[in-house]
Amino acid sequence: MHMESGSKSSPVDPGSVRSRLARAFRGTLVWYSFLALPLFLIMVFVAYPTAIAFRDSVFTETPAGPEFAGLYHFRRLLTNSIFWGALGNTVLLGVAFLGITIPLATILASMLNRLRRGSTPLKVIYFLPQLTSSVAVAIMFNYVFQPDWGLLNGTLRTLGVEQLPLWLSDPRLSLGGSRAAVTLLAVWAGLGYFIIIILAGLQSIPTDLYDAAAIDGASPVQAWRYVTLPSLRPTFIFLIITGSIDALSRFGDLWTLGGPGGAPARSLQSVVMFMFQQGFESNDYSLAAATAVVFFLIVLAVTLFAFRGFLRNEFRAIR
Amino acid sequence: MSSPDTALPAEAAKPARKPLLPRDWRGQVAMTTVLVLGAVVMLVPFLWMVATSLSRKANSSMPRTPSLWPPDPSFFNYWVATANLPIIRLYLNSLLVVGVTTIGYLAFSAIAGYAFAKGRFPGKTALFIVFLATLFIPFETRMIPLYLFVRDLHLNNTYWALILPFLAGGFGTFLMRQTIATIPDDLIDAARIDGASEFRIFVSIVLPLCKPTLATLAIINVIWRWNDVLWPLLVTSSRDMYTVTQGLALAGKSSGVYTGVALATAVMAILPVIVAYLFLQRYVIRSVISSGVKG
Repeated sequence: MHMESGSKSSPVDPGSVRSRLARAFRGTLVWYSFLALPLFLIMVFVAYPTAIAFRDSVFTETPAGPEFAGLYHFRRLLTNSIFWGALGNTVLLGVAFLGITIPLATILASMLNRLRRGSTPLKVIYFLPQLTSSVAVAIMFNYVFQPDWGLLNGTLRTLGVEQLPLWLSDPRLSLGGSRAAVTLLAVWAGLGYFIIIILAGLQSIPTDLYDAAAIDGASPVQAWRYVTLPSLRPTFIFLIITGSIDALSRFGDLWTLGGPGGAPARSLQSVVMFMFQQGFESNDYSLAAATAVVFFLIVLAVTLFAFRGFLRNEFRAIR
Repeated sequence: MSSPDTALPAEAAKPARKPLLPRDWRGQVAMTTVLVLGAVVMLVPFLWMVATSLSRKANSSMPRTPSLWPPDPSFFNYWVATANLPIIRLYLNSLLVVGVTTIGYLAFSAIAGYAFAKGRFPGKTALFIVFLATLFIPFETRMIPLYLFVRDLHLNNTYWALILPFLAGGFGTFLMRQTIATIPDDLIDAARIDGASEFRIFVSIVLPLCKPTLATLAIINVIWRWNDVLWPLLVTSSRDMYTVTQGLALAGKSSGVYTGVALATAVMAILPVIVAYLFLQRYVIRSVISSGVKG
């Protein structure tokens, strides 16, 4: 045969290696082309602004340009009593919300789970507020909590209650004050989601566990206490984590009710509202950036703590 | 079974039939009562809002005892609300923004998820970590620099500002990767042997198998984007660019003293979502359960 074709029969054929390499390269290229646009968008709209937030937190804007400030803005932030007030509010509201919602949702979900008839329409109704934007809920509850004629006080008066709470007009830390009102609002709005997730958890508990408990002579209440609640542990952990992150980023409803300052008397100001106010009202971008970084670190700590097992599995799976 | 001779066994089975009332009927009645009362608490604020929005008098004086029926039913508040706010325009804005971001989010999540689930290329782990890391960056952290960036690009008061930052994300990519990873490799290899390109495989084999996850992602994203208020408040200041939720937030503040008008605006903003939810409730609830993410 010919010289050129003769080379093809040799054991290590450079031409075929090259074409295999080219094919492999094309095979790789196609994956990069799939990732190019999403990666670009994430770099531009997620990674870049995050990096800028970190950069701004250690620089001061001066007319001559940015000046390195080290941890100055963090010191400013951590000695700012308004920031601590906002952080305190955020944590307090979050703890109160989760402390009420999780037990209440567990009881209601357990009942829904045992109900023979009509659980679907009830589920749909409980979940309804979740679909309503936090802004619409806040506007509605602004009137529900109106002290003179609002739905809540009007109903309480009809029921014969004489000392009616002032709700959103009362900045004090009391059971009839602004923080109590927004906690009731959050429970009303968030209950459905918690019920749905706990219900899914309940339905995944194997029935053998209940059969075993029944054989051991456990009453339904004992079975609930010693089988149901321990089996729901992962569900509770999940709800506490996601609930904490949502509570930390609370904004829409509080902003609608109290403006960026969290009126009355900053009693409703959350961390994100503080950041919003520093950035867009005081134009103190450095302080806002320092707040953003601290906020990020808090959320990251909560998330990493919660997902450490999950992340380990995830990285093992991708390799 | 249906032949007459089998009447006897049917007769014999009769005593085993369920009694009219279940044995635990007291428990059932008690639980139903508690649950229905709870459902009433969930519904009454909505009903009261609708009743108040239909009362013209609500703007000047409200009855001291709340009523679920307007004393003077009229659509007056709705006329005022639509005169104050170009509500149709706001709807079109929201539909456009939610529609485009959802389509983009699904497309980019799916194709990136496919690359991470089935692709073999150097740097896969590192790139996946980049995508996964975005899950840990709260929007609020990057909100202000993102706003300044969008402003510097002169995208303020454009649809681009409302759409571009939300087209790709770690959550969708992650969810799609999880789903696509469960598709057997044999199926994809068979198509490769038949000479199908990766994109072709993605479109005609992978995507159809991911329909349930895509539906979940679409529902979650629609709820997120429809209800978002923080970002639209920052980047759009002209009334013609408002989204529904943003318009509601601003109108609710400015017409706060006119109870009827403010509540009519709120009803108009949430009614379509509620109607859509009542039709799609099965899928919505399933999406929330399977993704663990709320609206």
